[in-house]
Amino acid sequence: VSGLQDVEWGECALEPRRDPEIERYVRRELGLVPLVAHYMTSCPWVARSVVIHQYNALLVHTDFRLADLVGIVVSQEGSCRFCYGAQRALLRIQGVSEERIRQLEGDLLDAELDPRERAALDFAKRLARASPLPGRADLEALSRLGFGPAEVRELAFVAASWVYFNRLSTLPALPPERTERLADHWLVRLAAPVLGRLLRSRMRPGRREPLSPEARSGPYGSLVAALDALPAARALRRLLDEAFASPVLSVRAKALVFAVVARGLGCAASEAEASRIAREQGLSEPELDTVLRHLASPVLQPVEAAIVPVARDTIRYRPVEVQRRARGLLDRLSPDEFVEFIGISSLANAVCRLWAVLEARA
Amino acid sequence: MTIAAIAAFGALSLVLVLLRRSRSESRRLGARLEEALANLQRLEGIFARMVPHELVERVIGGDHATLGQKREVTVLFADLVGFTGLSESLEASVLVRVLNGYFDRMTRAIVEHRGRVSTFLGDGLLALFGAFEPNPWQSDDALHAALAMRGELGAYNRELEAEGLPRLGFGVGVHRGMGVAGLVGSHERLEFAVVGGVVNVAARVQSLTRSCDADILATREVRELADSRFLLRELPPAELRGLSRPVQTFALEGFQGGDA
Repeated sequence: VSGLQDVEWGECALEPRRDPEIERYVRRELGLVPLVAHYMTSCPWVARSVVIHQYNALLVHTDFRLADLVGIVVSQEGSCRFCYGAQRALLRIQGVSEERIRQLEGDLLDAELDPRERAALDFAKRLARASPLPGRADLEALSRLGFGPAEVRELAFVAASWVYFNRLSTLPALPPERTERLADHWLVRLAAPVLGRLLRSRMRPGRREPLSPEARSGPYGSLVAALDALPAARALRRLLDEAFASPVLSVRAKALVFAVVARGLGCAASEAEASRIAREQGLSEPELDTVLRHLASPVLQPVEAAIVPVARDTIRYRPVEVQRRARGLLDRLSPDEFVEFIGISSLANAVCRLWAVLEARA
Repeated sequence: MTIAAIAAFGALSLVLVLLRRSRSESRRLGARLEEALANLQRLEGIFARMVPHELVERVIGGDHATLGQKREVTVLFADLVGFTGLSESLEASVLVRVLNGYFDRMTRAIVEHRGRVSTFLGDGLLALFGAFEPNPWQSDDALHAALAMRGELGAYNRELEAEGLPRLGFGVGVHRGMGVAGLVGSHERLEFAVVGGVVNVAARVQSLTRSCDADILATREVRELADSRFLLRELPPAELRGLSRPVQTFALEGFQGGDA
């Protein structure tokens, strides 16, 4: 039974649809196709993005167990019943007892958790909550516990990736019941030892590798460069490139979503980068200023005028409220535009939080 | 030998019974602990809807000393006009029903525009925008909320009239400024509130609606950061009790645009 079952949850705004090509790709990377991918197939980059989910070959400093625990605490913080249920099931498969998961949920493990793990989970929680965003003091606290700079960057990436997945599942109100029941399913319990070994055998740590000069350019190039040499940098580069190259929503519309989220979070570097992209796409400085001050402007295209005000609601929310506002977009966007908006606003929330942490370090 | 065997068997049975009992006892305790934990989590979730999350954690952690924070907030103060007369002419049960219906509708309008009702004061209410989390769009939110409240009140009045009940009228004051947001109160009762001049000015501006031809008034501080599509009619500066300088206010007449 999941500890988030009392969280109010809206009606799902999407229908699952199978896409053999996307499934092949995801299965090759992960060994399985997470349920969320089926709901996102009308916008392929969003469906493909689920390959980050298990961090295969992505982590150098963070062990998989800690990454999974981060998934639990960030999903709990974001009240994402879908991710939370899935993550509990994953932990059970990996042999973590129900009792221990419950202790973790209830924050009762102070005495039992390694102080480094405790600090890492607190940091992840603060990053997800962003009220306020973690600052220099948080990073210094991690440093005192022996976290190196690259380790902190990677931890921030892991937490930010859960911010992404939480929104991907919460905004369209993906049905959580199946994932919530999964952890207690008799078949999962029975097969857990075999499944767990199978899953672990597929997981390999990543390798440090300097970024190519091309990878340092493009949208949010400075952020990607700040993750230099970590496999996370390459994954983020690929995700951002695919997101901005996708023809569904205009580049300007995507930049505006990023800028609004950055403004709402108070992340100056991210807002500056999003504004740069929006200006490149023909928006003047005064026009952009009006949009960011009032979330509206006569210069906005109809799709932009619809998504810009909802983008601010994706920053901090009660699931049922943001789901209602997101569902309101269905009348104004096509299905692929809707899924791309879900993907881009989720990505903007992850990226802005991540950049705020990297900025605090500098 | 037989007696020894019986005694050994008896002792063994006793140990087994005790073991089973202690196991079932520990299972029962575990289940109760889990239930209590689930209840606590539920309470924490409910509490976090009334108080910012970080404050919830600090309260749970026993930190009551540093619960105040300076924040830029927009305060909306609303009060019913002619409530005293109404309370004398209506039966108590009808009065409470009418008042609760009014508060329900006003709260819905405020929450829809990302505000939070901080407190109900008799027939008045105080709502906050930007107090829980930083909100760069708080002026627009508060003015949209005020317009939505006007719309809700209109609809409610039609319902009241259909029941043969008197119409309600309200005055609303909106002001933006710095305030201290935190848990305020006595040891026995704490509530999340914003204190400071910003609240007093909003309340005084609300009382100005009685003497000018407007039901919603906003101050210059709100207007300066609000969307230019709000139709705000400038009124002459007014002296307000307790304030050293006259306050410039604007009557909110509408919004010239599609989406709010």
